[in-house]
Amino acid sequence: MDTRPLTAPQAPADAVRSTLRFEGSAGEYFKIWIVNIALTIVTLGIFSAWAKVRSKRYFYGNTYIGTHAFDYHAAPLRILLGRAIAFGFLLAYSLTIAISPKLIGFWYLLFLAALPWLIASSLRFAARNTSYCNVRFDFKGDYWGALKAFVLWPLLTTITLFVALPYAHRARDYYNINNSSFGQTPFKATIPVGKLYKYYGLALLAILAALVMLVTLTGGTLNIFKPDNPLIMTARIGSIIFGAIAFWGAPAYLGALTFNLALNNTRLGEGADFQSHLSPVRMTWIIFSNILLTAITLGLMYPWARVRRARYMASCISVMGPTDIGIFQSMPMSAGNAVGEEMASFFDIDFGL
Amino acid sequence: MQLAGFYFPPGSARQTDATLCVAADGKSLEVRDGSGAVLAGAPRRHVTVTSRLGGLRRKMEFPDGALFETADNDGVDALLPGYSGALARLERSWRLAGVSLLAIAACAALFILYGVPGSAGWLAERTPPSVTRLITDHTLKAMDGKLLLPTALPSARQREIQNRFETVAGWEHHDATRYRLLLRNAPHIGPNAFALPDGRIVVTDRLILMAKDDMEIDGVVAHEMAHVNHAHGLRSVYQASLVPAAIAFITGDASQFAQLAVILPAVLLQSAYSRNFEQQADDDAAALLRGHGEDPTQLASFLERMELKSCGKTGCGPSWLGSHPATAARAARLRRAPAP
Repeated sequence: MDTRPLTAPQAPADAVRSTLRFEGSAGEYFKIWIVNIALTIVTLGIFSAWAKVRSKRYFYGNTYIGTHAFDYHAAPLRILLGRAIAFGFLLAYSLTIAISPKLIGFWYLLFLAALPWLIASSLRFAARNTSYCNVRFDFKGDYWGALKAFVLWPLLTTITLFVALPYAHRARDYYNINNSSFGQTPFKATIPVGKLYKYYGLALLAILAALVMLVTLTGGTLNIFKPDNPLIMTARIGSIIFGAIAFWGAPAYLGALTFNLALNNTRLGEGADFQSHLSPVRMTWIIFSNILLTAITLGLMYPWARVRRARYMASCISVMGPTDIGIFQSMPMSAGNAVGEEMASFFDIDFGL
Repeated sequence: MQLAGFYFPPGSARQTDATLCVAADGKSLEVRDGSGAVLAGAPRRHVTVTSRLGGLRRKMEFPDGALFETADNDGVDALLPGYSGALARLERSWRLAGVSLLAIAACAALFILYGVPGSAGWLAERTPPSVTRLITDHTLKAMDGKLLLPTALPSARQREIQNRFETVAGWEHHDATRYRLLLRNAPHIGPNAFALPDGRIVVTDRLILMAKDDMEIDGVVAHEMAHVNHAHGLRSVYQASLVPAAIAFITGDASQFAQLAVILPAVLLQSAYSRNFEQQADDDAAALLRGHGEDPTQLASFLERMELKSCGKTGCGPSWLGSHPATAARAARLRRAPAP
């Protein structure tokens, strides 16, 4: 296979960096969101599939690289079907569990067996229904790959008392990224596992520190205060807040670091690289305050929170490509349209319940 | 009339500046480049036009996979009426957003006030007793031996409590065999009593020891029996699963983020329902006690003593967060409970 960059004759020296932009606005999205919720209620939930597609289209369609934006193409009817099937399973599960709790083992096995299939299908559905500049993405991951990345690796992680966790993380990223392609051009990630060990080590330290604080503050076995005096109550509240920040914050912080790592080590074909410099502190703050504001306003601030997060994330991600707006044009992708395959498989249903 | 935009050949990202117009026959759409050469053409009904959504660019996909893209939303609506969709008009109006918000708030209020309690009650009534017993067995199995230890009360005292329990059960106009007393030593729970869905009522040793008068225990038992009569246990289980399920169903994409934000309102609602149950149980207990010559005031002062012991003079935190109404309010209500 010829691995020479196809863009080589076109002076690769003037490679251009394009930063992603999110151009949606909270006000505009609020109107779309609220009207769609009202319609969902009026139709007793049936419209929710259409609402989901419009919501996704809004976010994809407002995320620009250069002069063009992404697009989302999923057919709402298929999402509705997926939800109906998932809902049916949920109902069957709750009914059988209520009658005989012993059946939970059967359900657990069934779920475990179906999980890789569900993951592979939904990743394929998501990829094939996403496009940029008239070219669809594709995903080629199979059941066996998903079984390894999402069941066997986590199992090994547990057996090795979390020593293998960074490897499991990398296996998951590899499954997600290295099976994806833009048209015919594959994505390829090569992630240094040493960095992942460093990040997970830091996260572990943060969680341990939080635990020590928690035990010390609440008394626990080292209780020297009289139980239930105001000091203990204050300490208890303080430690709950601190614990929440540590247990929610550590995953968010770690999430930003590993997201950067994965994207910074991913290439698209031979021509394009990515760069992501999400600030872990800022990302944690955005996630944390978004949850809080959404909960306090009974959901009213949800559109604003989503737009805020999308805008920040886009502003931190950039693509380095050979020419200005034509970054992806020079790729060998002219026949790369995944529509046909997408139509062929009925079972690529989005399980987004 | 023509629209300016970009053209992409079938399956390709190679863009060209182009214009779209209705062909001379009036039935076909044509894409032309700057020199006027036709890049794509097809009968209008074979061209897929995306619906209008916010300020998103509109796309026209030709049967062969070629694509025309334009930011001129109004132009598309003028050239190709009928593709805009009523939805886009609804989504653009602040007034309609306001109306939607009010309608959603009204639906949510109706759902919270009547929908959830109503359907939970409906489900509780139709739950077979065998299932209720099964749930209770599992609950007890999970607690016995860990949180609940065998009672340490002298057997004479146990018999005394049992006799009083049967007397109060006899006052109920319901079947007295519905209730069963379980005395347990629960050092981690402290002085407390709770009713399980199938009619078993757990009373802890510390509660018995705290009572200055056995009439106070009668009050506690009457309160728990009222919970059993109204199937409050089962209703709580159903209500707890209905509220988050409804929120996730309506808001659609139930991402992790959405689920987290859903927890707080759901917990607040759950405690509000629980406070209603407690008030109902207090009212029933007061009526039962008064009807049989006992004084609900005894229960009131017992509750106050319990609060003083477990939370001090400052009280047990804000009542809107709690599963029970504020003790002062409960005591006052019990004291002015009318005779039946």
